[in-house]
Amino acid sequence: MKEERLEEVEKIRRKAEYIFALAGNPNVGKSTIFNRITGMGVMTANYPGMTVELNLAMTELDGHKIGIVDLPGTYALGAVSEDQLAARRGVLQGKPDLVVVILDANNLARNLYLLLQFLDLGCPVVAALNLMDQAERSGIHTDVELLSEILGVPVVPTVGVRGDGLDELMHEALELAESREDYPILPFSYAMDIESRVRRLMELVEREIEDIPYCLSPRALSILLLEEDEEFVSAVRDELGGEELIRESIDIAREIKRDHGERAALIIARERHGIAGSIADNVQERGEFERPSLGARMWEYTTSFKTGIPILLVIMAVIFVAIFWGGGQLAELFAEFWERFIGDPIGSGIESALGVSIFSQSLKWAVDGVGAVLEIALPYLLVFYIILALLEDSGYLNSVAFLTDRFMHKLGLHGRAVIPIISAAGCNVPAVMGTRVLSTRRERIIASFLIVLVPCSARIAVIMGAVAKYSGWALALLMYLIVLVLVISAGIILNKIVPGESAGLVMEMFPFRRPSLVIVLKKTWQRLKDFVYIAAPLIIVGSFILGLLYESGWILKLTGPLKPLMEGWLGIPAVAGLALIFAFLRKELALALLLVLAAQAIPGVTEGSSLLEFMTKGQIFTFALVNTIYIPCVATLAVLWKELGTRDSLVISASTVILALLLGGLSHLVIVLL
Amino acid sequence: MLTEKMEEYLEALFKLSCEEEPIIPTRVAEYLGVTSPSVLDMIHRLEGEGLVRYSGSARGQGKGRIHGRHRKGISLTPKGNRAAKTLVRRHRLSERFLTDVLGLDWESAHREACKLEHVISPEVEERLAEMLGNPETCPHGHPIPDEDGHIKEDAEEVKPLCDLCANEKGCIARVDEEEPKLLQYLASLGMLPDVDIEVKEVAPFGGPLLVKVGDTQYALGREVASKIWTRKGHRKAGRGRHKHQGQGIKKDRDERGTA
Repeated sequence: MKEERLEEVEKIRRKAEYIFALAGNPNVGKSTIFNRITGMGVMTANYPGMTVELNLAMTELDGHKIGIVDLPGTYALGAVSEDQLAARRGVLQGKPDLVVVILDANNLARNLYLLLQFLDLGCPVVAALNLMDQAERSGIHTDVELLSEILGVPVVPTVGVRGDGLDELMHEALELAESREDYPILPFSYAMDIESRVRRLMELVEREIEDIPYCLSPRALSILLLEEDEEFVSAVRDELGGEELIRESIDIAREIKRDHGERAALIIARERHGIAGSIADNVQERGEFERPSLGARMWEYTTSFKTGIPILLVIMAVIFVAIFWGGGQLAELFAEFWERFIGDPIGSGIESALGVSIFSQSLKWAVDGVGAVLEIALPYLLVFYIILALLEDSGYLNSVAFLTDRFMHKLGLHGRAVIPIISAAGCNVPAVMGTRVLSTRRERIIASFLIVLVPCSARIAVIMGAVAKYSGWALALLMYLIVLVLVISAGIILNKIVPGESAGLVMEMFPFRRPSLVIVLKKTWQRLKDFVYIAAPLIIVGSFILGLLYESGWILKLTGPLKPLMEGWLGIPAVAGLALIFAFLRKELALALLLVLAAQAIPGVTEGSSLLEFMTKGQIFTFALVNTIYIPCVATLAVLWKELGTRDSLVISASTVILALLLGGLSHLVIVLL
Repeated sequence: MLTEKMEEYLEALFKLSCEEEPIIPTRVAEYLGVTSPSVLDMIHRLEGEGLVRYSGSARGQGKGRIHGRHRKGISLTPKGNRAAKTLVRRHRLSERFLTDVLGLDWESAHREACKLEHVISPEVEERLAEMLGNPETCPHGHPIPDEDGHIKEDAEEVKPLCDLCANEKGCIARVDEEEPKLLQYLASLGMLPDVDIEVKEVAPFGGPLLVKVGDTQYALGREVASKIWTRKGHRKAGRGRHKHQGQGIKKDRDERGTA
């Protein structure tokens, strides 16, 4: 086994005195605690699998520099799914000084399983008993001291969202890291016969293997071998010359199976669950009677089919109206503010200060670019981001996953895939990464393809800001319908042609949580920040460059080759094609540049009304349609490439471009015929 | 005349068929600790004797299709079943004899019985049963078939989880082992044999199930639920030493505390 070190972790190791890893089951508030400790902005949500890669950050405590690694949420450290593997790699290859295991006080028994597994691996552990407030509300009382005594590790009660107990947690962790011993003393033992067999194997390991991979304890390796862990079995056999050892471990595993009638891996899992369950029983008391909370009852309505489907439809309608109407209102407000107080004064200011030259005119294009950002992109994004944060934080997406499982099967996926696909409407990049919760490659390819077709917030802004605003809401709705049909038919076709197998849905369901206003606003701001810091400068620079090209006359040379495709096939002005190409950087650019182009192309017309004089309603529709479908943007392409490799990412990208051109041409044809 | 080897296969097939029919060859290989080709070889010989039926590959070809209960594999013919039961009867009777009369421990009794079962004649079998007072179970608690091959067993109905209705409770009997990864994943969530499971909601038109295990609710796709077999009622006593272990931990701690 090559002992690769994780490059990212090594980078912060150089700067840090200690490395702590944060681990825990999905959705126990790990990322919230990570954000609290490090002051970073990692996205959080009330559904499993939000964090799919390692997040890293530095923090300081009492003058010690500490690197924090946020592992993906996982139920176990096996090798059966991508998230489990990622967490496992983070621990084995990242080599943290200790692991902070975050436990959900509401579901202690199941959560302790992972902690026991860390102890089995020989990791020093500090535990945070999180979501204490919720547990207390539902009448679960935990004897934290007893828990800490039984486990033999420090346990700190915390409320992550409020930051309660985190200071103490970090101090406990630091103390442990400073006084670290080699391996923690195990506070539990398995059944006698299992234990004696583990010991038998352990002696062999000690005798035969000199360098245990990742400095695991002999006990840890013995257990992994009995669990028939593929990675370690092949490493020991092929690289460490332990054929004899493997034969022995297979024999011992077979003995266990004969005695218990179950595979050794299952027996060990059963033992761990048994121990975890009895520890939880020992330290927790439950209130006798609990009335189901409002959240729990609402949750039942949303997962029951008779009520769930209508609720889903209503919520979708409300979202569309909120974005269309709310975003529109905000857009008008912003536009008025911009024109009256900033845009026009600066524009005339530039002209009077620099005179009329190519440069000053191009600067004016850039100013118009800022206006486009404020007027179109920002308002729609703002509304959409608030809604997305509410959906994520409440946990409603779990219900959607449950309701849509049957339907998703037709697309070769299962219910869980619906979460990344919906969140793709925010941004495709994290959505593609989110497909890691799917267990087979086939599913990930299909899901990634569908995600890329889902209009992200930038494309929504274009559809709303151009089509809905200028061509009418009916056409905007039609655009959504086209995309919906496209996504579904693409799924059905991919289900037929992509080789491999699809796995089934196994997903923990979380009850609703009341969305925290602070977190919703924070998340909205995090996403907007990304837009403001990355997209806005691009739009401004893009406008400036386009301005330079335009004012200097170069634009004709560039648009020339585009003419046959844009004017002939799609029926839109060739310069608009240039905007489409620029939009590969950020999809909002398409609209922003188009508006700037229009404002400049037709002199004397103000920005607000100009687009319709530059293009017809139909042309705007075609333009937005092509923009929506063709390969999303450079960032999405990069993440596709990273997740799926060169071949599949290229196939997906090429297919979207072809689809976009086909549908765009079709749209032009229909418009001409009408 | 059957060889000892063939008899061993028959016995293994009989035990496996109590769990699930038809049986896939890899299960047999795993159970006996032999390679799959040698299993297939033997299956064909048994087929020639009219003791088993074997139909093709047990794996479906469809992508992610649910095979339900129409899978192919090995099954015992009535003749084979009868022969297997006789062997099981002889094995278990021998075990009883070895423990009750000769005072061997269970483990050695099992080993010895494995050898004895092949050499006991019908006459010895009858006398043995008579002497032992026609026992109903072996020392491990497994039922002993009577001379006509009938097994007294509280016939437990085992059905897939997806056949349960909403609000029905059951206990996981086993999980199909064809997909070790799924099995392992479910195990890490605590969905193991002998664990209680409650169906909260069944989505119509072949949709998923909402189930409760312990304190947690899970959504399970229909195809996953069809691989989890349940039986009625609660967990059997004696397996998964939950309570016992807990006390052990606490006592250890107390002792350490006072020391």
